[in-house]
Amino acid sequence: MTAAEASAVPTPIPVVVPPPSPPARFTGDGRAYWRILLRGAVLLAVTLGIYRFWLATDVRRFLWSNTEVAGESLEYTGTPYELLIGFLIALALLVPLYVALALAALSAGPVGAAASALSFPVLFFLGQFAVFRARRYRLTRTVYRGVRCHQDGSAIRYAICASFWWIMVALTVGLAYPFMQSRLERFKMRHTYYGDLKGRFEGSGLRLLLRGFFMWLLVVGPLAGTIVFGVVTVDWETVGGVAAKATSLEDFNNQLDSAYSNFYDVVVVAVAASIFSIVMLAVLYPVFQAMVLRWWIDGLRLGDLTIHSSLRTSAIYGAYLRFLGYGILFAIAVMVLGSIVAFVLTGILVGNGNKDAADLANAGVGIAFYVIAMLGFSAIYQATVKLGFWRSSVESLSLTGLDVLDRVKASGTASSAVGEGLADALNVGGI
Amino acid sequence: MVTSTMVTGTVVTGPGHYFDGTSSARHDVIVEAAPQAMRILDANGMLLAEWPYADLRAQSAPDSVMRLRRAGGRELARLELRDPALIAKIDDYADSLDRTGAVERRLRRHVIGWTIMAAVSLVLVGVWGLPALSDRIAPLIPLSAEQRLGAAMDKQVRAMIDPGRAGQVFECGIADAEKAGRDALDRLIARLEIAAGLPIPLKAAAVRKGEANAIALPGGHIYVFEGLIRQSRTPDELAGVIAHEIGHVAHRDGTRSLLQAAGLSFLFGMLLGDFTGGGLVVIAARTVVQSAYSRDVETAADRYSVGLMTNAKGDPRALATILDRITGQVEPGSKILLDHPQTKDRIVAINAAANALPGKVEPMLSPADWAALKRICG
Repeated sequence: MTAAEASAVPTPIPVVVPPPSPPARFTGDGRAYWRILLRGAVLLAVTLGIYRFWLATDVRRFLWSNTEVAGESLEYTGTPYELLIGFLIALALLVPLYVALALAALSAGPVGAAASALSFPVLFFLGQFAVFRARRYRLTRTVYRGVRCHQDGSAIRYAICASFWWIMVALTVGLAYPFMQSRLERFKMRHTYYGDLKGRFEGSGLRLLLRGFFMWLLVVGPLAGTIVFGVVTVDWETVGGVAAKATSLEDFNNQLDSAYSNFYDVVVVAVAASIFSIVMLAVLYPVFQAMVLRWWIDGLRLGDLTIHSSLRTSAIYGAYLRFLGYGILFAIAVMVLGSIVAFVLTGILVGNGNKDAADLANAGVGIAFYVIAMLGFSAIYQATVKLGFWRSSVESLSLTGLDVLDRVKASGTASSAVGEGLADALNVGGI
Repeated sequence: MVTSTMVTGTVVTGPGHYFDGTSSARHDVIVEAAPQAMRILDANGMLLAEWPYADLRAQSAPDSVMRLRRAGGRELARLELRDPALIAKIDDYADSLDRTGAVERRLRRHVIGWTIMAAVSLVLVGVWGLPALSDRIAPLIPLSAEQRLGAAMDKQVRAMIDPGRAGQVFECGIADAEKAGRDALDRLIARLEIAAGLPIPLKAAAVRKGEANAIALPGGHIYVFEGLIRQSRTPDELAGVIAHEIGHVAHRDGTRSLLQAAGLSFLFGMLLGDFTGGGLVVIAARTVVQSAYSRDVETAADRYSVGLMTNAKGDPRALATILDRITGQVEPGSKILLDHPQTKDRIVAINAAANALPGKVEPMLSPADWAALKRICG
C-alpha cells in the first residue's frame, strides 16, 4: 500500500472515551513559580527580609491552589498579616527568654555554666513545639471543598516526644531515624482532621529501616570501620608517649616515624573512608529522600481513604540535577559580576586617591553579593528541588476510597499564627 | 444539569459547583449572572441563594477557576466557576472582584513601600541608634556587674587568643627567669594606674602571642602581647599603648561594644529571619558597622593615652612613634575591617594633643627594669 493509498482510506472516527482524570494532579506553571520566587528574592533583599511573610503566602497560595485532588483544588486561606502578627507575638515571647539566657550565661559560677549548657536544649525544645504549632496553622488554613483541615493534640507532648527521638537518633548514629519518623508521623496524623474525618499513619519504622539499612551501612560503615580498625591496630601507647614528648608537629612526625605504630596506616584509611562516605552521601541522598517520601505518603490515611505513591527516584534526582545546573550557572554569574563591580569601584576610588573609601566600598560589595548569592540559591532551590518534590509527589499519588471525601462534615476553627512566628524566629523552617 | 452557557441579553447562565461550608458534598448548580445579583439555582431550577455583587470575594484558585465567597456569609461556603463567559460577566458586574489583580498589586506596592521604609529605619537604628543607646546604657551598668562580665569574657577570650603552643604557658612572667620582667611590668602599670585613678583595679598580663598588639576587656582586664613588647624600643612606647588600653577601660568601651554587638545581633539576626546564611550577613554587617564606629572610640582612647602619659610624666609622643613603626609593617588590606583609624591621622592627632599638654618627662622605667621587661616572655 502506498502512502497515497493509505491517505485515501477514511480514518475511522475514534470513539471518544475521556481518559479517567487522575486522582491527583499538579496544574502549576513552573514559570509563574519562578516569577514569584525571583520577585520575592529581590524584595527580600531590599526589605531586609521583612517581605518573607508575603512571599511565603504567595508561594503557599500557588502550591495549594494548583494541587488538585479528585477534580477540586486546595485553597490556602492564610494571609501575610497573620504571619507578621504571629511573628511579632513570638518575638515578644522570645525576647525575655533570650535576655534571661544571655544574662544567666554571663553570671559566674554554676548558674552561668548551667545557663550556657541549657540554652541549646531549651531552644531546641521550643523549636519542636513551634514545628507542631506551625503545622496546625497551615492545616487550619487549608480548605478543600468548603471544609477545613485542623489539628488538635498537645504541642508540649509533641516536643517532648520529638526531643527524645532526636536524642535517640544521635545516640544510634541515625539508626533510630525510621522509628522517630514513624512515631512522630503517627502523633501528627492522629491529631489531624479533614473536617470530621480523622487521620492516622500506618507506615512502619521497621520497614523503613530495612529499606534504608544498606544505604546507612554505605555511609556510616566506612567511618565506623575506621574507628574499629584504628583502635585495634594502632599502638596508642606509643603514639601517646610521642605526643607528650613532641614539641611541635614536625617533631611529632619525626619521632613517630622511628617508633613503628601503624598510626599512618590509620590516617590513610580514615581519609579514604571519609571521602568514600561523603561521595556515597551525595549519591544516595536523593534515593534516600525518594524512599522516605514514598514510605511517608503510603502510610497516610484519612478515614477510609488510603494513599499510595509511585514516586520514581529519577524524579528526585532530576530535581537535584536541575538545582545543581542552575546553581553552578548562577554562581559563575555572581562571581564574574561581583569581581567586575569590585574591580571597577576599586579602580575609580584608588584613582581618586581615596583608598579608605575603596576598602569600605569593597566590603559593601562583598556583603551585597553574598546576600544576592544566598537569596538566589534559595530561590533556585525552591523552584527546582522543592517544586520538583511537590509536583512529582502529587503526580505519583493514587487514592482508593475517594468517595469518603464526598460526605465529610465541617469542623474545627482557624488557629493563630504564633506557632509559625515562633518557628520563624527560631529558624526551624516555619515559612 | 446545565453544561452550556446561555446568554440572554444582560443575563448569563452557566454551570458551577457549590460547597455549602457545612459538608464536603459537591452540589452541581446553575449560576445566573443577572444585573441585580448573582443567583444560585439547583439542578431543577429552584433558587438556592442570591448573592449581591458587592458581597462577592474572590479566593485563591487555579488560573482557570473563579472561586467565590460571600462576605458576611458562611465562612467556608464556596462557589466555583469554570465557564469563561460566566466568569467574565460576573467580573463585569462585581466591582468588588479583582480578577486582573490590579487592586491586589496596588495594595502590594504599598506594602513593599512600607517595608522598605521599615528596613531603612532599622538600618539607621543599627548604625546610629544602637551606638548612641549603648553609650547611654554602659555608664548605668554597675562596676561590679562589669567586673563579673569581664571575668566571664576573660575565660573565653583567653581560650580564643591562646595559640596553644605545646609545652609553653600562655601567660608570661611565671617562670623563675621571667619573674623580674613581671615585676617591671607591674611597676610600669602601677605608675599608670595611679595617674589614671580608675574606679576598678587593673588586671594586666603579658601573653605569648606574636602580634604587636594589646587588648582590653570589660572589668579592667588588659592583655599585652609578646609581639608588642618585642617591637617597643623604649618603655614609653609600651606605656603609651598600655595607656591607650587603659583609656578603653576608663571609657568602658568593652561594655559598650558588647551592648552594641548584642543589639545588632538582635536587630539583624532575629528580626530579619532565616534566609539561608543569614547569620554570616549579620556578622559581616556588624563588623562594618562596628569598625566604622570604633574609629571614634580609638581616637578617644588615643587622646586619653596622651593625657595619662603626661600625668604619669611619660612621653606622650611615644605612642605615635610605635604606631608608625608597627603599622608600617602591616600588610595593606581591607583597612576598614581593622579596628584602628587611618594611622597617619592618628599620629598627627596624638602629636597635636601632646603639644597642647607640655609636661615634664621622667623615664618610665630604669634601664635594668626595661631590660628585664624585654625578657618577660623568655
